[in-house]
Amino acid sequence: MSLTTVTYKGSTKQRLDMRWLSQAINESTNSDTAKNLSLQVGNEKTNVGDVFDISGPLSNQGVVLENSNPSMDYLGHALKTDTELSVKGDAGHFTGAELAGGKLIIDGNVQDYAGCSMSKGLIEITGNGSDYLGSAYAGAKKGMSGGTILVHGNSGNFTGDLLRRGTIMVVGNIGDYCASRMIAGTITNLGTIGKQVGVGMRRGTILLPHKPKDVLTGFHDCGRHNLGYLTLLLHELRQYQSTFQSLHPMRRRVQRYIGDTTVSGQGEMLIWIG
Amino acid sequence: MIINGVEIEDTFAEAFSMRATRVIITAINYKWARHAAETMTGFATSVIGCGVEAGIEKVIGNHETPDGRPGISVLLFSTDKKTLEKQLQTRIGQCVLTCPTTAVFPGMEGEDQIALGKNIRYFGDGFQSSKKIGDKRFWRIPVMDGEFLCAETTGYQKAIGGGNILVFARGISHALLACEAAIDAIGMLPNIIMPFPGGGVRSGSKVGSKYKFLNASTNHPFCPTLKGRPDNVLGKNIEAAMEIVIDGLTKEDVTLAMYRGIEAICDLGKSQGIEKITGGNYGGNLGPHHFHLREIMNESYNRYI
Repeated sequence: MSLTTVTYKGSTKQRLDMRWLSQAINESTNSDTAKNLSLQVGNEKTNVGDVFDISGPLSNQGVVLENSNPSMDYLGHALKTDTELSVKGDAGHFTGAELAGGKLIIDGNVQDYAGCSMSKGLIEITGNGSDYLGSAYAGAKKGMSGGTILVHGNSGNFTGDLLRRGTIMVVGNIGDYCASRMIAGTITNLGTIGKQVGVGMRRGTILLPHKPKDVLTGFHDCGRHNLGYLTLLLHELRQYQSTFQSLHPMRRRVQRYIGDTTVSGQGEMLIWIG
Repeated sequence: MIINGVEIEDTFAEAFSMRATRVIITAINYKWARHAAETMTGFATSVIGCGVEAGIEKVIGNHETPDGRPGISVLLFSTDKKTLEKQLQTRIGQCVLTCPTTAVFPGMEGEDQIALGKNIRYFGDGFQSSKKIGDKRFWRIPVMDGEFLCAETTGYQKAIGGGNILVFARGISHALLACEAAIDAIGMLPNIIMPFPGGGVRSGSKVGSKYKFLNASTNHPFCPTLKGRPDNVLGKNIEAAMEIVIDGLTKEDVTLAMYRGIEAICDLGKSQGIEKITGGNYGGNLGPHHFHLREIMNESYNRYI
């Protein structure tokens, strides 16, 4: 498979709205047309071709973005099924927002709201995620509604805020307010987790290796159980090349807490045991 | 055609179109998986009176089941999708949900889906929860031994029901011997069930009846106690006839099963009291699928062996 390479050749510190790239990939735009797309950089209007080199057609055969930086927002926005964007470097806010089936690989760190309101597909972040990973746009009532986010590093606060469906996998640590107002879906990690886990959680699953230091009063201990569905879930988690593959495929014994009962929630926080 | 002294009659076995589905029942061990599967497939011999024909297809090893536990694959056949769906849910709800440690998974893929746990979930009284894993949704219903895990839907497909073999023998013991040999051979095959008790049928039926309220009745031309009647087809030496009914997912599956069954019976031969093998031919009134015995024994050998 021959990959098309898009190389950032500018050096502006202004934020760049990268939605043009996903749109061009979704529409399989050729390089000349793509270069003529207009692009706002700060208070100047310019063309994509002035800021980026494009080596070939932008299509679903795979696109690599070289020399990216944290000022590039909306990378991989609304990518459709069978598209793939590989980003070499850090990415900005709203990375993979509204992803609709494509595959987005970030070889670096991302800023806030990565995967927000995505509905399908995969976002893989080799570095760290930031706040509001897999959450909703500010003011929206539903967050991520499908697909998978895999973070090989850590993620920030409000991970999975208003999560509706889908899976968030964090190899490292998760910050405070994880799964806040969670509606459904799954969040799991292999490291530590911050305060106020599952605050306002309605349904869904938080699967953790260790009990949080402060379990909210709205969560009630339901004891230790073997849950059959965890075998299926582990099968799903282990399909990605990550540290999650170290989990034994037949592991299913957990300590179960339900909550957040302060909002009549029936979500579950599961802590691996055994 | 005569094989090892057993006559293969020049006729066809008549079968009809059905809809079939497969589910995989797992449990903590085979004992409980089998309890669930046997209960679920009980009273499922014929669509005439049971709504569905069901049976255990095969035992599945831990490494092949979705949850890594011992499993049993069950096939269900019915005349239409609606009945199949209703029967499936009733049987899962009453026979598998109730059985300790069990879980149910879809055994067929495809776009054509019927409800499995979709409605059974309401047993959870609001405490049930769903989990979408991959592209499949599962329901987790709290029960007294933990959770009953059940896939939301399973696939179904067109299938064939009523493939059959009829054995004429010199006595009941000979007929049973022949049937058991055939049933053992057919039982090894995938995509096949023999829904009647133990796989054999003594009350083969014909289409229709003298009574208007019955659409099937005893196949009197095959009853040895009526040999004196002019329409009886049993010869002087024959004192028992028995049938093996075969439901399969495809025509090829039924053909292969019939071939293996006839082959096993013929291996016993005339010396074991087996006189003739024929098929349930109802003059084309029963269904569109005709399995010609002699063609099967001629062609199948080359096709499958």
